[in-house]
Amino acid sequence: MKTIQSRLKRFFEDFYLVFTLIFLYAPIAVMMVLSFNSSKSRSQWGGFTFEWYRHMFESAAIMDALYNTLLIAFLSALIATVLGTVAAIGVNGMKKLPQTLFMGLNNIPMLNSDIVTGISLMLMFIAFGISLGFKTILLAHITFNVPYVMLSVLPKLKQTSRYAYEAAMDLGAGPVQAFFKVVFPDILPGVISGFLMAFTMSLDDFIITHFTRGAGINTLSTLIYSEVRRGIKPSMYALSTVIFTTVLALLLITNFAPAKAPKEDRREGRQTSFGTAFRRTAMIGAAFLVCIGVGYTSFRHFASTHSDELFVYNWGEYIDESVIAQFEEETGIHVTYDLFDTNEEMYPVIEAGAIQYDAVCPSDYMIQRMAENELLAELNYDNIPNAANIGEEYFTRSEEFDPGNLYAVPYCWGTVGILYNSRRLEELGISPPTGWADLWDPRYRGEILMQDSVRDAFMVALKRLGYSMNSTDEAELREARDLLLAQKPLVQAYVVDQVRDKMLNGEAAVGVIYSGELLYLQEEAEALGLDYELTYVIPTEGTNIWIDSWVIPYNARNKENAEKWINFLCRPDIAKKNFEYITYATPNAAAFALLAPAYRENTQVFPDVSSLVNSEVYRYLGTEADDLYGALWKEIKAQ
Amino acid sequence: MNKKKTSLLALPYGLWMAGFIAIPLFMVFCYGLTDRSGTFTLANVLAIATPEHRKALVLSLLLSAVSTFLCLLIAFPLALILRGRRIGRGSFILFVFILPMWMNFLLRTMAWQTLLEKNGVINALLGILGLPALSIINTPAAIVLGMVYNFLPFMVLPVYNTLAKIDDNVINAARDLGAGPFQTLIRILLPLSVPGIISGITMVFIPALTTFVISNLLGGSKILLIGNVIEQEFTRGSNWNLGAGLSMVLMIFILISMTFVAKYDKNGEGTAL
Repeated sequence: MKTIQSRLKRFFEDFYLVFTLIFLYAPIAVMMVLSFNSSKSRSQWGGFTFEWYRHMFESAAIMDALYNTLLIAFLSALIATVLGTVAAIGVNGMKKLPQTLFMGLNNIPMLNSDIVTGISLMLMFIAFGISLGFKTILLAHITFNVPYVMLSVLPKLKQTSRYAYEAAMDLGAGPVQAFFKVVFPDILPGVISGFLMAFTMSLDDFIITHFTRGAGINTLSTLIYSEVRRGIKPSMYALSTVIFTTVLALLLITNFAPAKAPKEDRREGRQTSFGTAFRRTAMIGAAFLVCIGVGYTSFRHFASTHSDELFVYNWGEYIDESVIAQFEEETGIHVTYDLFDTNEEMYPVIEAGAIQYDAVCPSDYMIQRMAENELLAELNYDNIPNAANIGEEYFTRSEEFDPGNLYAVPYCWGTVGILYNSRRLEELGISPPTGWADLWDPRYRGEILMQDSVRDAFMVALKRLGYSMNSTDEAELREARDLLLAQKPLVQAYVVDQVRDKMLNGEAAVGVIYSGELLYLQEEAEALGLDYELTYVIPTEGTNIWIDSWVIPYNARNKENAEKWINFLCRPDIAKKNFEYITYATPNAAAFALLAPAYRENTQVFPDVSSLVNSEVYRYLGTEADDLYGALWKEIKAQ
Repeated sequence: MNKKKTSLLALPYGLWMAGFIAIPLFMVFCYGLTDRSGTFTLANVLAIATPEHRKALVLSLLLSAVSTFLCLLIAFPLALILRGRRIGRGSFILFVFILPMWMNFLLRTMAWQTLLEKNGVINALLGILGLPALSIINTPAAIVLGMVYNFLPFMVLPVYNTLAKIDDNVINAARDLGAGPFQTLIRILLPLSVPGIISGITMVFIPALTTFVISNLLGGSKILLIGNVIEQEFTRGSNWNLGAGLSMVLMIFILISMTFVAKYDKNGEGTAL
């Protein structure tokens, strides 16, 4: 009877363990599979490839981020361990009340939400004029790591006997000697677990790093976040797969290869088994990662000697990386290339002047805002002769946000429109959409992907109502809000980047999308052999014409190099190369002439600008209007 | 030991805390209690009472409470089983539960999109088995799933730690005195693991309460949590004062958690490895 019962119990236990493991590892399995996917899509299988592994090792951005991640994790864990262990010894000797107070303060970073910790540190760094960068991330990581060390070391300290220490003193050891000979070996397991816990927490942190990092520095988390806008490159999955399999392999080797250690006392063994396992395996993993890091540092150290510099700040995935290399080669100028995810994120960085960029690529309305706040330097067109390659009509459009074309040279442009899945529409029995008004058709329930951005969402509603998308009239905006509220039940999700993957995967019938994504989508759909077509329409009511342009901030230190950079990007062959990589329409007329006919005839990507009569360019509306838009948008989201 | 002298060892970290914990907190208060022009106001804190903020807060509290409860429900039996598996390979099994944390948090969460979508992996599998499709992506259920997935290790760790420390003799004694397995669980194991449970609850509840990434990725941004509101005020809306004011409200919940921890987990044994 006993055996059946215990077997049954064992079976249920195993079943439970396996079930939990599947739950924990299913997403990791997905990542590993995607790392071999020749399609960039997150949801479609395009065939097997090792390409991403090659790309991963070649990509300076990924290797830099890996290096930063490991170095920060290692240094912050090390410093936190020293600081925390010493403090724990001190706290252990304290009286009750100060000890409680001390530990209370110590617990704050651990219990406080990451977002508050991150923001509060950021506010302090800015207030004290500490420029954000590598050291601020390090300081922040140390701060949230020490509590974990304290919590590992303190219980061990409490277990150590004071008498052993006193006996050592009686036998002639000095306090320091007695500590290292008697107390330290006892607390060592706690110190090591503390270190590893700190290392792990630092490795996994995103939010605090996000707020305390300066531009110019990425960890893996922040790099991934900046890639989210244009889609995670499978190289990231490849990197994760490499780390995962290495750690797992080392783990298996250490667990099964060596002869079994003599059986410990059972109870004792169980008490420490978790700690030991964690320590042993994590230590190996950490050692492996640190080795890579050190190797890479030395490599980087020797690779970087340069005198002439240029600091560029651009959107993620918004340039063909070989263009940067070519620029460096031709001019001998070393480029430090940084990424931002949104205009709003870029603005305070430039405004604070903590990092002095030489060339930045914001959108229309943000350029207006920067110019109004005197954050931009006037361009010297004598140094940018290639600007003549830019079509005149784009400079004319730019006047709406940059009167006199003083500050900005157009880089990419496009429209916002509706992408639809032809087959899904047939299934739903709806004829293809022609205007924004179609997005209120109740038959689309759960089939609409809207843009998750205040201005874009309101643009759709305002245009449908026949108002200007730069309206600041409260009544008009309230009307637009009511319209968006009425639409919400039909909306499947508000998305930014994911609209691409979701449309490719046939998740929704229609999606509001930037025209720049079109070529990628259509080529991908063809390559994957999808049985549905994705078609783009520019709504009849008019839409947003957006222009991302290069500008030079007022505090640029290498203005002439920045002009060389802009001039270089305006060169027809370079603009063509860039277009072929990022597939956002180029305003460069000379480059356009070089493109393959299939591209030139694609009126969805390259519509005739003069025909877009109802369309407008976003303008900056001021703080008050921004707040109003924000508040109304929140009402929609909270509903 | 000379107590006074040893206490001095805490000084460096004490200064560190003053600089990197106390002053930043003070900065949040400064921003939260002023408006853009720098004059004192309570408006940013009271803004929590507006319908959309209140709704976001209530929803956050609800979802994180559900996630915490589910984490506990999954983690406790798991920790019990792991406790029973003793040494040797047991240690390997244990580590396996931490390993996912070494993969990037954002990537892990995005992978759930691929799993959960309408035409995703899970639905494909269900389709093969002839089962009806699951449609939880972009719903609160998906957010809860993401929270449970990401924060489960924070519950497993402390609960396992306290369970592992319980002396076998205590359990044997209970059995000898006539307690059945269920009674042992309720009257011995559960009460003795309270410090770990409390510590686990706070370590899951607080990050779940304040997350904005999970709700963005798995909730389709249709569901607004208080973390999203704060994040947007800082990154998109550029109203840092309002963001700081709302953060101060969140801190109240953190203070409540801290008092709980101080009461039940005096020696921090729940979180120690």
